[in-house]
Amino acid sequence: MPRAIRGVLIECEPAIKSIIVHLDSKNNDFIIEDLDEQHLVIKENMVFLLKQKLEERLKETYRPEEPLADSD
Amino acid sequence: VVDQLRLWQLENERMRTTGGFLFKDFDTPQDYAAVSGYAEEIGVLVWKSDRKQMFFASKHEQLRDYLKSRKKAE
Repeated sequence: MPRAIRGVLIECEPAIKSIIVHLDSKNNDFIIEDLDEQHLVIKENMVFLLKQKLEERLKETYRPEEPLADSD
Repeated sequence: VVDQLRLWQLENERMRTTGGFLFKDFDTPQDYAAVSGYAEEIGVLVWKSDRKQMFFASKHEQLRDYLKSRKKAE
């Protein structure tokens, strides 16, 4: 008989997916199944934490430009 | 605060989540084809891979019943 495993399907761009895989590599506590370049299934109770961690990571790498000074 | 909001939007646009069930470990390719086909028919199929013989469905009750009826029919 096949198995039906409860989880949350994540659909994202490969860059985001590689961050998730990296986050999981420490304790293997997020990913249930790595499906393909843009899909993976993660544990239902870890979605919130994963989003938090992703946000932290994006903050580190995404630096908006300094606002332009009023020159008029 | 504005930056945080912008980040959150950015992330949501770059990532979509769907709760449900991953179906795997089918006994035969025929089982996989039949059940994934049925999932598509009733509109609960979210993702599938014929190569991996796995699929993700948003609900599982009807699929479970369908599997049982298939096994009984054998």
